[in-house]
Amino acid sequence: MSDPIAQLIFLIIKAVLVPVIIVMMVAFIIFFERKFAGFFQGRWGPTYLGPWGSFQSFGDIAKLLSKEDLIPVRSDKRVFRLAPYIIFVPAFLVMAVLPFGPVGGEPNLFGYRFDYVIANFDAGLVLFLALGAISVYGVVLAGWSSNSNFSLLGGLRAGAQMISYELAMGFSVVGVMLMAGSMSLVDIVDGQAGNFWDWYFIPQVVGGLIFFVATLAELNRTPFDLAEAEQELVAGYLTEYSGMRWGIFMFAEYVNMVVISGIVSTLYFGGWRAPLEALDFIPGPIWLFIKICAFVFLYMWVRWTIFRYRYNQLMSMGWKVLLPLSIANLVVTAIVVSVT
Amino acid sequence: MKVWSTPPTLEAAAAALERRFGDRVLERLEFRGELTCVVAPADWVELLCFCKDAPELAFDQLECLLGDHLPERVATPFEVVAHLLSHAHGHRLRVKTSLAEGQALETITGLWPSAGFDERETWEMFGVVFAGHPDLRRLLTTDDFEGFPLRKDFPLQGTVGGRIRTDLRGRI
Amino acid sequence: MSDPVDHVARTAERGAPAPEAGARPTLAELKERKARSRQRVERGGEVMTVSMGPQHPSMHGVYRAELDLDGELIVTVRPEIGNLHRGVEKLAEARTYHQIIPLTDRLDYISGFAMNHGFCEAVEKLMEAEVPPRGRYIRTIASELCRIANHILWLGVHIMDLGTQTFFCICFRDREYVLDLLEMLTGARLTHSFARIGGVAKDLPDGFDHRCRKVIDFLPRRVAEYERIVKHNRIYYKRAKGVGIFTSEDCYAWRVTGPPLRSAGVARDLRKDEPYAAYDEVEFDVAVEYNADVYDRFLVRMKEIRESCKIIRQCLDNLPDGPFLAPDFAHAMPLKKNVLRNPSAMIQDFVHVFRGPQAPKGEVYRAIEVPKGEMGVYIRSEGGAKPARVRFTTPSFYHGQVVPAMVEGEMIADMVAIFASIDVVLGDCDR
Repeated sequence: MSDPIAQLIFLIIKAVLVPVIIVMMVAFIIFFERKFAGFFQGRWGPTYLGPWGSFQSFGDIAKLLSKEDLIPVRSDKRVFRLAPYIIFVPAFLVMAVLPFGPVGGEPNLFGYRFDYVIANFDAGLVLFLALGAISVYGVVLAGWSSNSNFSLLGGLRAGAQMISYELAMGFSVVGVMLMAGSMSLVDIVDGQAGNFWDWYFIPQVVGGLIFFVATLAELNRTPFDLAEAEQELVAGYLTEYSGMRWGIFMFAEYVNMVVISGIVSTLYFGGWRAPLEALDFIPGPIWLFIKICAFVFLYMWVRWTIFRYRYNQLMSMGWKVLLPLSIANLVVTAIVVSVT
Repeated sequence: MKVWSTPPTLEAAAAALERRFGDRVLERLEFRGELTCVVAPADWVELLCFCKDAPELAFDQLECLLGDHLPERVATPFEVVAHLLSHAHGHRLRVKTSLAEGQALETITGLWPSAGFDERETWEMFGVVFAGHPDLRRLLTTDDFEGFPLRKDFPLQGTVGGRIRTDLRGRI
Repeated sequence: MSDPVDHVARTAERGAPAPEAGARPTLAELKERKARSRQRVERGGEVMTVSMGPQHPSMHGVYRAELDLDGELIVTVRPEIGNLHRGVEKLAEARTYHQIIPLTDRLDYISGFAMNHGFCEAVEKLMEAEVPPRGRYIRTIASELCRIANHILWLGVHIMDLGTQTFFCICFRDREYVLDLLEMLTGARLTHSFARIGGVAKDLPDGFDHRCRKVIDFLPRRVAEYERIVKHNRIYYKRAKGVGIFTSEDCYAWRVTGPPLRSAGVARDLRKDEPYAAYDEVEFDVAVEYNADVYDRFLVRMKEIRESCKIIRQCLDNLPDGPFLAPDFAHAMPLKKNVLRNPSAMIQDFVHVFRGPQAPKGEVYRAIEVPKGEMGVYIRSEGGAKPARVRFTTPSFYHGQVVPAMVEGEMIADMVAIFASIDVVLGDCDR
């Protein structure tokens, strides 16, 4: 078998396996979110389906699939149907450029090189930012196509919030780009070779925090979940979605969460690298998995603990606090990198 | 045994009312330490204005305004009762007026905005019209309700009782 | 209408610490702050109508507010109540005074006993029936337990409206302790029906004293923890400080009573002004704050929980012996244990159940301090066992009315915080 065919086979395997693994992860993450919510709130969470309640997600999926598919009469039906997928698909596409193991080097599988990344794209980071921007379309279109005041208001708020925080996000990752000297996620992880003190979260601590906060806004999670705030606008842009369509939105949110956790750990916490070189024998994907789980837990912890910002305070924080800070971080990084 | 007596500030307030309105206070009752003044509908707003503004009275809060139906009084079966409270002095007053069927009473939402909902409810429950009220429409009952429920001739079980809404079939 | 003149002195004598002249804003200052925070609303622009409809997870019951929004700004609010109207006043006209007590439970169903208590106080004023000391103390204990339960629930709902559900669950967990106490005392968690004309239904059960003391020992520490989490939280501070200012003048005009009035600097508490039950025999402070905003209403309610614990402790310490229900043949029910053994008790029971206690001809109005504000009961009686007219003047009715005055000109995100802070429960509002 020649190399291109082997690579094609590997590509197909990776392109199938990675989404499947992520989907399975998301199913259990949804369950864990509810379980942790319960523990934070002094109650049990789901306990009924399966051991420790762990098959709750599958029960939820079954329930959602059996619901009536309500589409509002005066909505724009095609856009209404399309909107969830505009959010759903870009999240998976980002996984295509995220490395979950070593890339490049000697043949390691049956005499052929198996790169632990689906697409070794030179500008992986930019692709991530771009796809994040596309998901804003999905949110706004969902709100607009529902032909309902609540949804429109929620969609516009969510869209404005996501766009504002994307700027801070973008500027803070440029710091990482400068330190690694490349926009490719593979190179960024290779630039963090060594032990955990070589990872970028130490020099880029300000940028990392800004990035974390900005991703909370991108994910529409508390404290930035005004768009879905139940108490204020019923469910914002999701109000008219029911059954499995709503399920796709929820799924998309959690897939986004997993992917962004992966991005955070890749950019700042060494990606698939082990914290100590001695622990290198544990394969890369396992480390990435552990880090993703840690960040997902962090997102959940923040969600169930912190209050919600009022909308104008949220926007003013994004523009007046995070954006200047991230630009300052960028400037300082640029100075330091050019000097050393 | 608790003795209910009229507080001295209320006595002073009653004296001030007497001086100002004299005969126009049709009746003065004292029961369990509470003072009740009955006036004619024409003097309603003037008396309440005086109650709010005069320093001995200083009734700055309208505690509530309610209606009542006394069918045994054939000429003026309806009654509107206003309870007033003074924060400055701490005393209370009840002012009543009797109305005939269909007679309107002037609104006091200009004096105390809290009368808005009270007067709406009184209209809805008894049919007493308040002239000058900014928004006199039903408050508590359903949109298609007919009749004035708190009148004594309105049956307790209602007038439509237990129907199945076939007119809404297919609509909900 | 002017600021009450003896305001500061009254506050000091009520036990609340009078703040320094600089810290306490005057009425004029408050009005100016309010004008600044309310943006000028230009009517006639294009508005979007949004219905915060009767079903919303904001847990205030079935209150409907139709908002006209100009972007984020609220231009007009049209409140609609009545979705929970059950015709309590009409039902009361067909019932004897004893039979009305369970109806009052369902008014403010969160603090059922407080409503029973208010009604029984009014009936006792009408009939000139007396309540024995032990009955008064037990009523005080149950009322204060209801107050604690109500304020804890209010806190959970308020914070949930602002974002976290976690706090809501924590508050409900603590409320369970109080509800367990009430269940031990009255037999029910929410619909107590515990007050009777002339006293209460049952005596304090065995073990109640011990258990109650345990609960009121740890509750102030819990409240301190809540205050620590919420009071110093930057996000809460930004969302609540200076938001929803409603001065004392506005409160008088709109008949807003209870914690919103006390947060505007008015030291009015019917437990001190027109004492009932055992409130003139216990020492407690009135919780007063001066900034009239959402933050201060939170502080007032937290302080009231602490004062309630103090009151309950004093009541338990000084609980007098004697009957808990007046041995009043004419007005009160007999003790259940005597009914089948004692002929006069049997006759009394028969008379009160089938005919009901007779009231003299006349009308009374009696108001008490229920957790949400001041509830007044107006009873007009033509003699006989059934009242001719009963009116429950409930605080939430007026608080529901005041929403446009408080909210127009604010932003929609503030509306939720403000509406939560004035504590409207639809059972109370619609009766």
